Amino acid sequence: MAECHPVAFRWPMKAKVEHDAKLIHVDPRFTRTSAMCDIHAPIRAGTDIAFLGGLINYVLNSERWNSDPFFREYLLNYTNAATLVSREFRGTEELEGVFSGLMEYKGNEADWPYDGFVGSYQSTTWQYEGWRPEEPGEPRGGEELSQPTRVEPQARTSPQESFESVIRSLRQPPPRRDETLQHPRCVLQILRRHFRRYTPEMVEQVTGCPPETFLRVAETVLANSGRERTTAWAYAVGWTQHTYGPQMIGCCALLQLLLGNIGRPGGGILALRGHASIQGSTDVPTLYHSIHGYMPAMSALKSHETLRQYLATEALGGGYWANMPQFVVSYLKSMYGDAATPENDFGYDWHPKITGDHSHMPVFLAMADGRVKGMLCIGQNPATSLNASLERAGMRRLEWLVVRDNFLTESATYWYNSPEVREGTVSAADIPTEVFFFPTAQVAESEGSFTNTQRMLQWHFKAADPPGQCRDDLWFTYQLGLRLKRLYAGSPLERDQGIRNLVWDYEPDHPESIPGGADPRKILREIAGYRTGDPSRHLEGPHELRDDGSTTCASWIYCGAFPAPDELLPASREPDPPDTIGAHLRWGWAWPANRRVIYNRASADPSGRPWSERKRWVWWDGKEWVGYDIPDFPNRKSPDAPAEPRGLGLDAHSGRQPFILKPDGVGWLFNPAGLLDGPLPTHYEPMESPVRNALYKQQTSPVLKYWKHAANQTAVVGDERFPYVITTYRLTEHYLAGAMSRWNPWLTELMPELFIELSPELAAEKGIGNTDWVRIETPRGSIRAKALVTRRMRPFRLGDRVVHQVGMPWHWGWEGVVTGDVVNELTALVGDPNVSIHEGKAFVCNVEKG
Amino acid sequence: MAEAMGFYTDTTVCIGCKACEVACKSWNQLPAGGGGDWPMTGDSYDNTRRLDGIHWRHVKFIEQIPEDRSEGRWLMMSDVCKHCVQAGCLEVCPTGAIIRTEFDTVVIQSDACNGCRLCIAACPFGVIDINPASNTAQKCTLCYDRMQAGLEPACSKACPTDSIRFGPIAEMRKMAEARVQQLHALGEKRAYLYGADEKIVGGLNSFYLLVDEPEVYGLPRDPKLPSRNLLPSSLISAAGAVLLSLLALAGLRKQRMDERAAGDGAGPDA
Amino acid sequence: MPDTFYTAAPHWTWYIVAYFFIGGIAGTAFLLAASLHFFSRPGDRPLVRIGYYVAFVGAVLSGILLIVDLNRPERFWHMMIESNTGRPMFKSWVPMSVGVWGVLLFGLFSFLAALSVTGEDRPGWRFTRWAPVRALGGRVPAAIIAVLGALFGLFLAGYTGVLLSVTNRPIWADSNLLGLLFLVSGASTGAATLYLLARRRGVGTPASLAWLSWFDERVLVLELLVLIAFLVSLGPVAEVLVGWWGVLLLGVVVAGIAVPLWLVHGSRGGHRAVQAAVLVLIGGFLLRVVVILSSHDIYVWGSGVARP
Ligand SMILES: Nc1nc2c(c(=O)[nH]1)N[C@H]1C(S)=C(S)[C@@H](COP(=O)(O)OP(=O)(O)OC[C@H]3O[C@@H](n4cnc5c(=O)[nH]c(N)nc54)[C@H](O)[C@@H]3O)O[C@H]1N2
Ligand SMILES: Nc1nc2c(c(=O)[nH]1)N[C@H]1C(S)=C(S)[C@@H](COP(=O)(O)OP(=O)(O)OC[C@H]3O[C@@H](n4cnc5c(=O)[nH]c(N)nc54)[C@H](O)[C@@H]3O)O[C@H]1N2
Ligand code: SF4
Ligand code: SF4
Ligand code: SF4
Ligand code: SF4
Ligand code: SF4
Ligand SMILES: [Mo]
Repeated sequence: MAECHPVAFRWPMKAKVEHDAKLIHVDPRFTRTSAMCDIHAPIRAGTDIAFLGGLINYVLNSERWNSDPFFREYLLNYTNAATLVSREFRGTEELEGVFSGLMEYKGNEADWPYDGFVGSYQSTTWQYEGWRPEEPGEPRGGEELSQPTRVEPQARTSPQESFESVIRSLRQPPPRRDETLQHPRCVLQILRRHFRRYTPEMVEQVTGCPPETFLRVAETVLANSGRERTTAWAYAVGWTQHTYGPQMIGCCALLQLLLGNIGRPGGGILALRGHASIQGSTDVPTLYHSIHGYMPAMSALKSHETLRQYLATEALGGGYWANMPQFVVSYLKSMYGDAATPENDFGYDWHPKITGDHSHMPVFLAMADGRVKGMLCIGQNPATSLNASLERAGMRRLEWLVVRDNFLTESATYWYNSPEVREGTVSAADIPTEVFFFPTAQVAESEGSFTNTQRMLQWHFKAADPPGQCRDDLWFTYQLGLRLKRLYAGSPLERDQGIRNLVWDYEPDHPESIPGGADPRKILREIAGYRTGDPSRHLEGPHELRDDGSTTCASWIYCGAFPAPDELLPASREPDPPDTIGAHLRWGWAWPANRRVIYNRASADPSGRPWSERKRWVWWDGKEWVGYDIPDFPNRKSPDAPAEPRGLGLDAHSGRQPFILKPDGVGWLFNPAGLLDGPLPTHYEPMESPVRNALYKQQTSPVLKYWKHAANQTAVVGDERFPYVITTYRLTEHYLAGAMSRWNPWLTELMPELFIELSPELAAEKGIGNTDWVRIETPRGSIRAKALVTRRMRPFRLGDRVVHQVGMPWHWGWEGVVTGDVVNELTALVGDPNVSIHEGKAFVCNVEKG
Repeated sequence: MAEAMGFYTDTTVCIGCKACEVACKSWNQLPAGGGGDWPMTGDSYDNTRRLDGIHWRHVKFIEQIPEDRSEGRWLMMSDVCKHCVQAGCLEVCPTGAIIRTEFDTVVIQSDACNGCRLCIAACPFGVIDINPASNTAQKCTLCYDRMQAGLEPACSKACPTDSIRFGPIAEMRKMAEARVQQLHALGEKRAYLYGADEKIVGGLNSFYLLVDEPEVYGLPRDPKLPSRNLLPSSLISAAGAVLLSLLALAGLRKQRMDERAAGDGAGPDA
Repeated sequence: MPDTFYTAAPHWTWYIVAYFFIGGIAGTAFLLAASLHFFSRPGDRPLVRIGYYVAFVGAVLSGILLIVDLNRPERFWHMMIESNTGRPMFKSWVPMSVGVWGVLLFGLFSFLAALSVTGEDRPGWRFTRWAPVRALGGRVPAAIIAVLGALFGLFLAGYTGVLLSVTNRPIWADSNLLGLLFLVSGASTGAATLYLLARRRGVGTPASLAWLSWFDERVLVLELLVLIAFLVSLGPVAEVLVGWWGVLLLGVVVAGIAVPLWLVHGSRGGHRAVQAAVLVLIGGFLLRVVVILSSHDIYVWGSGVARP
């Protein structure tokens, strides 16, 4: 975190210096972050689930956790620990590392053979007992489902049926529970069985973390959780870039729920997002598989034929998602405006549908097969991205490529300056692609909003004019839209209705202010919502959204960010007065509804009293919920309000159920649905590993994504040609593929050359000296780097054998003030099943001097 | 003179992000070493390596990790001109280019410096060197220009963890002493302040909280002023001068004697 | 590690080495010439003159070397006049500041001295017959010039070492004997220079030549003692001289001091004395190379000592 989020790291350091907070760092390497922490727990890359599973096992068997009433009270009321799971469910204990429902993947190989699943699960048997099972064998394009798909054969929804009755049809009976937590099929007992194997010895065997260090972490975390104290976990791509990335995070969330650390101040599990505003780019999605506000994208692979079927498939009867009709309809109104009417399902049919996994890796594979005509490459540098030479092979088959960037990146020069061209294996003359390069305005040269890792929108103003002809991306996108609409204006084709009806009215009121550009405030207005027909009447919040078309709002989660034309809340900069406790609610605006801690109802005990004075955040004052933060709960719903058996949405929850997005209103230790790779986190080895899975017969995730391709070979387990575990990461001094840092001499002098970090032990074995040139090889590629020999790297002792871990920053390329080989020549196109994230954090390689 | 201002640098919270180095370069528009392209040093994460005319801040990285990897430490420290109360550089500058400001900081006036480089050799901390851009000796000015405008120095402003704190030196000392107490209470007995009192060249207006010997951070244990050698060296040399003169004259006198003895002007060789 | 190791080198290299070498010769040459001036017989005058000429030329060269060594030579005058106030610039506690004036005054007196004796060489030259110039040759003025010039000469030969000591650099600031060492080796090189020039021009009475060698011999012994004392005074710092610098230093001792001693000892002039003088010059030069450059090599890199 110190390395990649130095400014955010200010707060952990403040906590350490001013409140003696304990900091722990779990990382294969000893980094600048480790240097600041009280404990550094080194683990072999890719083994966090074993480590976290070990913590869970430690907690479940600890004397304190089993005796302290706080944990039991939190667990019983706020999690699904007591819920019974279906009789058919079989876990990894019985099935040697896989769950019931595993089957061969039946995807749509024909027209989009890039979904990559090596297998797939049918999650029917993971359901709560008594809940209607999911549709069997429904093929999935790899979408992340933000909530379980419950079911009712959708055919039953009729066009006339009201949205409410569709939602009503989705209600589930309250799940069966065993308050004694003794029932063998209750979640807690399943957990106990599932994590039984994750003993400290096993943790050491798998991760290589010294047992005493592991135990120190376990004791510290447990000691710092409970009524009076909370523990927070922060993670970033060290946890995500794995074929089981989401499961790692789920595993931590599980631990945090067990420890009562969710929904409370100083608790939670915090994603440290990437690029400034990458949070915004997933909220207002650049993700192919969701539309605004984490609603699943309309898919040709699911029963999404009509709006009602979409709702029937994706909405929920219980919990906040029951409001999905309001969200979707308001979204469609933002897309198609007046053309969207109840009669035409608000233009639902015009909306594009996905036909498979269209995420980064599959698209470049399709490109390599000549299936992609052109690409708009805006603010990305794929020429240095995963399995880079394969991705460049794809780019060489494009007919046209538009690159918009502040710098002449590798992606703009790959056709004349890439290694393969310079080495002569590829001739520029043979590349048909027509490449257009647009120099782009920098962020400070444009106005707009950032959404930071805290879900907080912050408005930024234009500081300077861009040089020469540079234009910002908004200008470009707006102009592109105008031109496309003009192009399609006369088209009689049904399929062009969408673009013809697309609302594209961002013309600034004073056009001279932004010549030819769009008004960013008008865009935020459309995202945050207004009353259809009167754009001057903005919306106060999601509660105002309607499913009759009377509200227009692209993103329900941003609704309320811009409540009135003169109230641009993201621009507000009012911190709380010094020495007062608070959430700084007037500094920027955080979704949803300016809440800073989500599910914060859990910061009070079931009866609504703060768990403790130290940890008070929101509480019930007898009439309503009050506190430092915006309560994430119906304001006047008293703690002893009963759940209405026939109620819809939040009415289906009692006053004691904080997890308002969940159909059953509690935190999920066990995921009956929503994940494609199992209801519980399970340790698998990375796609490439030098060792067998010590925990199960199953070596890797049975449903991971691997794309067969001559240029995408992977090493088999324990391949002697590639004996070392390698991970890739960032340096504070550089930024990602490097365009933003390798052109700046003030930064490049700080970290001029590409290097590989390795332990003195391995260096000695290999006769490699500090700053010697080293060649690094994987089945995909071979590159050179300087050696940085340091004890910050260590050999891992796994049982009777030693595994060496090396690491490389990946910021280099062939353009810029300093240049170096592209580390992604080494990586493979393998991904996780839920979100298709690559496995750039753990694979195998060989290193030789030279 | 206005209140003495300066830095208190708590090295225990330095994350080695080098924001201070870059902020300094950006504010003072200093060129990059080797135009930004020079070989990596292999000396931990330190590639700028020392303070000089174009690096007025320098972050040091000291890896202390035993072979068995138990209890490893990676010390980081952002080094800078110490703005000594008794400044060797200022003491020797033969052109008067180096001055003490109203903030009790030490500043080189680049337009007065003629590049004799004596200050480089005089600074006990190896802070100064020539900036090829101006071809004069340069170093941290403690952002004299910003201070005159009531602004905090660029480096401390950029420091995300407040490892570099800026303010009235008296306040800084209080803050630092409190931090040392806290660290001792937490069991970090090695924590101490370097240059907070007069012991080190009359006190440093940029002093440090360290957790190891000064030498470990590349700092002199007991830095001194150049002038300490002035008197002894001069006297000894003067004595030598007298001796030599006498020797020369004595030699001649002896000569003449011998000649008289020999009776005529004929030299020995005659 | 000694505290002086945590400092930076001032990039004083060949110009300074040359300056220190020439300054030493010039200063002591004047001293010897002046001494001879008082005891002079007609036969010695040419040697006196050579001494003065050497001193003057040396002074001029010294000034030039000093200036060209500056990074901003056009600002050399800032050392004499404070550029932003216009006030005279003089720091009595800074050898370099004092030195600048010293060199200036030595230049002045060596110039006057040279001027006063030019007539003896070149009666034909007009200006030598010019009254003020002739007046310089007068008994009293000549004496004053000789005495003051010799004083500043000695200063010039010695302050260079003091200047090095009044810093914080390894070796230089670690001993107080550098001034003396440079002074003495200056004397030996000064004497050697005069001796060589005299022999070359075939001037100077055998007596005064003998005196030069006699002087040189004694000074060399002295130099050897001072050098040893200097090394001892360095204490632990001396260890940095282990290695190539040590070898060079040994060269200085053997070739620049011991061998010449052996050569001049009891030599009745002749070739051996000439060879000795040449070796002394080389030795004197190397001594400055070693003292200045060896210290120069020491930098603090990152957190330890390394070589640039
Ligand atoms: N200076 C700088 N800051 C950045 C960026 C940058 O490029 N430069 N990039 C931004 C972006 S886009 C992102 S996504 C974030 C990423 O932020 P981070 O995730 O912090 O970035 P990384 O350095 O890739 O990975 C972090 C650490 O994960 C460790 N690691 C590797 N494998 C494993 C593993 O299996 N388990 C565990 N526990 N740790 C592992 C690595 O050793 C590394 O120290 O940073 C953002 N901030
Ligand atoms: N091996 C390995 N591979 C990785 C990772 C890893 O950890 N290991 N990390 C992955 C992660 S987390 C990420 S986020 C990706 C990042 O990978 P990329 O996004 O492909 O790399 P960037 O360098 O961030 O590309 C961003 C580009 O946007 C340009 N840019 C900046 N501002 C603007 C703007 O306002 N407009 C426009 N048009 N362009 C702009 C920059 O100059 C830069 O060229 O890399 C992934 N790849
Ligand atoms: S680069 Fe920007 S976003 Fe990242 S830490 Fe620094 S200031 Fe924050
Ligand atoms: S640290 Fe060096 S440069 Fe800075 S004031 Fe002290 S002596 Fe001068
Ligand atoms: S180099 Fe400049 S600043 Fe330093 S002593 Fe010489 S004149 Fe003064
Ligand atoms: S005070 Fe100013 S000049 Fe000195 S280091 Fe900081 S930024 Fe640079
Ligand atoms: S900015 Fe602060 S934390 Fe970063 S290197 Fe400098 S002193 Fe350390
Ligand atoms: Mo990222």
